Amino acid sequence: MTGYILRRGGQSLLAFVFLLVLVFFLARMTGDPTNLFLPMDAPMDQRIAFAERHGFNAPMYVQFGRYIYDVLHFDFGQSIFQGRPAMDAALNAFPVTLKLALVTMFLAMFFSILIGSLSAFRPGGMFDRIASMVTITGASAPDFWVAIVAILVFSVSLGLLPTSGMGSVWHWILPVGVLLIRPLGLMTQVVRASMIGALASSYVKTARAKGASNRRIIFLHALRNSLLTVVTVAGDQAAALVNGAVVVETVFGWPGIGNLMISAIKQRDFAVVQACILLTAFAIFVMNILIDFAYTRIDPRVRTT
Amino acid sequence: MRKLLKLCLGAAVIAAPSILPSYAWSASTDITVVLETQPDQLDPCQSSKSQVGKVIKQNVVETLTEINPENGQIKPRLATEWKQVDDLTWRFKLRQGVKFHDGTPFNAAAVKYSLERTLDKSIDCEIRVKYFGGMTLTATPISDDEIEFKTNTPQPILPTLMGTVVAMSTATPMGKITREPIGTGPYKLAQWVPGQRIVLERTNDYWGDKPKVTKATYIWRSESAVRAAMVASGEADISPNIAVQDATDPSMDFSFLNSETSRLRIDAAIPPLNDVRVRLALNYATDREGMKGTIFSKQVIASAQHVVPGINGHNPDLKPYPYDPAKAKALLKEAKAAGTPIDREIVLVGRYNLYPNSEESVQALQAMYEAVGLKVKLRMTEAAEWYKLLFKPFAKDRQPTLFQEQHDNNNGDAVFTIYVKYHSQGGQSTISDPELDKLIDEAGRSTGEKRTKLYQEAFKRIHEVDVPDVSLFHMVGFTRVNKRLDFRPSIATNSELQLSLVGFK
Repeated sequence: MTGYILRRGGQSLLAFVFLLVLVFFLARMTGDPTNLFLPMDAPMDQRIAFAERHGFNAPMYVQFGRYIYDVLHFDFGQSIFQGRPAMDAALNAFPVTLKLALVTMFLAMFFSILIGSLSAFRPGGMFDRIASMVTITGASAPDFWVAIVAILVFSVSLGLLPTSGMGSVWHWILPVGVLLIRPLGLMTQVVRASMIGALASSYVKTARAKGASNRRIIFLHALRNSLLTVVTVAGDQAAALVNGAVVVETVFGWPGIGNLMISAIKQRDFAVVQACILLTAFAIFVMNILIDFAYTRIDPRVRTT
Repeated sequence: MRKLLKLCLGAAVIAAPSILPSYAWSASTDITVVLETQPDQLDPCQSSKSQVGKVIKQNVVETLTEINPENGQIKPRLATEWKQVDDLTWRFKLRQGVKFHDGTPFNAAAVKYSLERTLDKSIDCEIRVKYFGGMTLTATPISDDEIEFKTNTPQPILPTLMGTVVAMSTATPMGKITREPIGTGPYKLAQWVPGQRIVLERTNDYWGDKPKVTKATYIWRSESAVRAAMVASGEADISPNIAVQDATDPSMDFSFLNSETSRLRIDAAIPPLNDVRVRLALNYATDREGMKGTIFSKQVIASAQHVVPGINGHNPDLKPYPYDPAKAKALLKEAKAAGTPIDREIVLVGRYNLYPNSEESVQALQAMYEAVGLKVKLRMTEAAEWYKLLFKPFAKDRQPTLFQEQHDNNNGDAVFTIYVKYHSQGGQSTISDPELDKLIDEAGRSTGEKRTKLYQEAFKRIHEVDVPDVSLFHMVGFTRVNKRLDFRPSIATNSELQLSLVGFK
């Protein structure tokens, strides 16, 4: 296992370096933050002094060299807008997104397995058709629009839920609901498809012949064998949640990493953008290892290879 | 499967404690304010930034003088009176018996410290960059409650400038941005949970009248629809700025002149725009009334100069150009006859999200100018690119350009607008008119009635002789206020939100 993790780590390091280079230069192609930080009427000499103080006037390769040097020393730079270390800002925001993602993924897995399995039991039946329609429609609607409409319906018109913010368990319902829609729709379809395959296989026929109950056939024999695909897709979807989190956190005012990233990008607060991306990339790296680990638990065949 | 379930349940248990309620409904004299963005910093020397000022200016930290937003008059605040000793020297008397929230006394030494920290070049204080850019200013305490300011150039409007300088405790660190403002205001910073909320609490030993609001919680949501929904559902009490399409309920939504003025800057150096007839034609071809209530909100006021009424130097006699496409066509014909290449393509540079419907507004203007026979190409820009085009040096080989812009001056005096926008040396100016320069320079050195008259004359010259822009509108903002509050937004609402002005019904 250790050797395996080291190997994976080595591969990921390359991806990390590539990502660093990409983010560094892409961010700087969009202009420097001097104009966005200083007031519109600030005279030219003030602009030059500002750029000098923060090193924006140095040639790009010098800035990049400085950055790499600092990162290797675990210094991720200062947020010029917040006046504190960029990594502090990112680490403060990260747990919020992590919690949001964990709760969403847990619910997405639970409901996709439940709905997908039941749909697969009678493909083309009433339940299957309704479930497919609802989940696919949901997954196709733009989440930004869904979020605003949900607030207007549930909070303003019906007065059932708080509009936004964190706090009580009620505050979680709308953001998690909106974030859930897309992975749920996709994963339900994946579960359904792989379950249809599994239910047609010979071991299920054998189990049926032996007189096993429907529940036992679906949830024990077939499901365990189709879980592998589900876990793979779930991993993809978990990474994609970061995108959803940008929208959901901005609309609902959650101080997570998506929210932080979007405001940092708007302000050209490079250090914060870089810190957020590094942290997110690291989280996805850890998650991939966990998924590989999960494979070995679900499928004994993987363990020997 | 069972293991997977266990794993998931484990995750849920870890996440659970943070899900459980910690939400409390506010008592009746506590209010919640929902802003557009979280202030990045709360450093007193950044209180001229609107997102910082809306929280702390005049609430936590106070200025020496205060500008009355309605008429531009200067009122005492922490300074009680002032006089000019000579061209370069002013003396300010300070209010006695005032204390900072940390118990230290407010006196001449504290003012000196505040000013030195604000002007410190090792930190990026907006107040310094915006208002004290080109000057050196030294403060010398005369006594505990009197201070003398000396400048290297005459500063006839120093009392106005002191409306931007806030007093902070000498415990505020020098040379480093602070996240803990300590001021003299009626409220002190009680809590700041980054990303979530800022809480201000009323102090008991404020020198002035006791305000009615006991506690103010600031939160932020970037979507206007969400902010409006929060006030409608009672979760928040004031949203200082909501979009026009969300301001649908007249019992909660109030419009206010937000001190912004929109215009198209005309690049008067490049043919055909170097011909004043073409610039006039653009003005006559602009249907301002037609855009009111459609693309712009119906409360905006058509403008003829780049400062709002109430700013010293605003000329009340100037009238916006009427919509007269026939006259525009005639002027263009005349220009063409004189050899001006009016067939040359003109670029109209717009900026996304400069103000509500800013994209639609340049599209409409493009159509209006093409209707009178000009060739106009639209080019939309993002903030960073737009800023590059705003400032000199302008590219030598540029096309003739119309540039969408809006400008905010709520500091009481035309000097903050007119030099940078219209003086030949101004960083954003496209004209070079020696007569106008003379007027602007002379006004900058004058005080009182004379200053006002000179600026008014300058605006008249800009409007009638130079015509370097298509002035559009004095813009409005919308504030949504919970019905339980007694509060009306003013022209100052863009940059500050004085809790002491909030009452309850």
